[in-house]
Amino acid sequence: MSDISDIESMTPKQRVLNALNGKPVDRTPVANPTNVATVELMDLVDAPFPKACQDPELAAKLAATGYTELGFDSISPYFSIIQESSALGCEMQWEDKDNWPTVRMYNPIWKDSSDINIPSNFLKHRDVKAITESIRILRAEYGDEVAIIGKTMGPWTLAYHVFGVESFLLGTIDNPEETMKCLEKLKEISILFGQVQIDAGADALTFPDHATGDLVSGEYYKRFLKDIHTEMVTELPVPLILHICGRTLDRMPYIAETGMASFHFDSKNDPQESMDAVNGKIGLVGNINNPETLYARGPDEVRQEVYKCLEAGVQMIAPECAIPLATKIENLIEIPMAVKDWTAERKN
Amino acid sequence: MALVNYECLGPSQVILKYGKCLELVPLDKHFENISVGLYVKHRTCTVWSFSNKTGTEKRITQIRNLLVDMGGMEKVPNTNNQAFLACGEPHNRALRFLMSQAVNRSPESKIENDLVEVKDTKSDLTIHPQHLERDQSHIYKINLNGEHKNKALRMRMIIAGFLRYGEMDKISDNEIAFSCRKRHDGLIRLLTPYSRNISSMETMMAAEDMRGQMTTSTLGFSQT
Repeated sequence: MSDISDIESMTPKQRVLNALNGKPVDRTPVANPTNVATVELMDLVDAPFPKACQDPELAAKLAATGYTELGFDSISPYFSIIQESSALGCEMQWEDKDNWPTVRMYNPIWKDSSDINIPSNFLKHRDVKAITESIRILRAEYGDEVAIIGKTMGPWTLAYHVFGVESFLLGTIDNPEETMKCLEKLKEISILFGQVQIDAGADALTFPDHATGDLVSGEYYKRFLKDIHTEMVTELPVPLILHICGRTLDRMPYIAETGMASFHFDSKNDPQESMDAVNGKIGLVGNINNPETLYARGPDEVRQEVYKCLEAGVQMIAPECAIPLATKIENLIEIPMAVKDWTAERKN
Repeated sequence: MALVNYECLGPSQVILKYGKCLELVPLDKHFENISVGLYVKHRTCTVWSFSNKTGTEKRITQIRNLLVDMGGMEKVPNTNNQAFLACGEPHNRALRFLMSQAVNRSPESKIENDLVEVKDTKSDLTIHPQHLERDQSHIYKINLNGEHKNKALRMRMIIAGFLRYGEMDKISDNEIAFSCRKRHDGLIRLLTPYSRNISSMETMMAAEDMRGQMTTSTLGFSQT
């Protein structure tokens, strides 16, 4: 059997960026568009939540373990989905080390588009700087070898946070023009935060925008978000990875037309069906199941899912979303190991 | 100095040396909120934390000793963090409960050594496991003390709980045994409260499992 070291001829950074740009790779990269931090890794480098979401050095240390300890090809220091919303003034629930910080959406800060206002100190806010400065630190330490992936939330997700989920969704029915106004204004936050991360050294950006299969249809995606997402490709000049949770097969053909580099897809979508749905117009990254496989099962099951993605031709392998914080490390280490073994097996 | 810098074993080394993580307690409320894992390789269980906080080693020793005192495990000589079950079988499900209890119980609380009665949560009955030895096999007879209109049904449900959470074998309608057929009073004592109410246990465990998961549901981005 081939040794993987005979096969690997690229740095992790080259591998990820080539995959995002549709160029050849020595092997399929293992990326983490969202998060691979766990409570054990937090202890290892003494960077626990929620402090690691607020302090750039802790964020950088914790994020770096995804590369140094787990063997992923990218580093992502924005673990959660709340940094911008915190800086906008949303009420936060920071939680303990073992749980995700969240926005208290039942207590929204804004009612309509006229309320949308980017605070003048937005970029200086602790929770924004935690990300931009951590990217700067990571860039200095690992910038030549590993892909650094930033993250900026899309306007749909921001709208959930600032208006509340129910209120915002009802608005899409009652007053779609107002909804579009909201999205147009909120996208400026996505651009602003994305651009400062690019300036700080991000090689690519994840763009989560939770028009999830649970709540909205594919047609909603086309109507409200497709054009905005297409615009983001011009506004944010690095490869963009769109992230939407849940069943999204019905909107994948639309997503594929946005020009984004990749779509981070959920395990509720079969890898082969997803590849067929996007028809080569966008790369895919994913979709190892979190709650059942990575959290509750073992390396054998992880390996099976990795192989299924590889067999389907998924361009980058990753957990489907931010991993559960109590995920066992052996399951995460198994992802790059499985990719390497699969590659070596096929080179023979 | 490198950004990622630590003095203990790294994750890959821990897995190589101590095996798979059988149970991970994400937050030890009794010591600095560290995470503590029970790693298993062959027959040996190792209590491990990646924390470098002062006092971690002492706390690890305390947890290992609780595995011994509560669960009837035996210390691996000349170690402060390892123990094993003398029967040689894994009893993984029971060990997971044992680890969780060892970390979460107050270090000051008293440890019971007898097979005490436990109040049933779905009736006025009390559950009293009793150890028996028959044909060189160690068996536990479950006694239900008190009156209830459908005692037989409660017995079936409680026995089902032991089979589920202890991965035990059913010997008769009111008798169970571990697959090794050895005596594990500590594990029975631990499993009895779990076994009396499967549905509430399942709900509790599902809620525990959801903590730290990022899903559309936990984010509030779904209908449920």
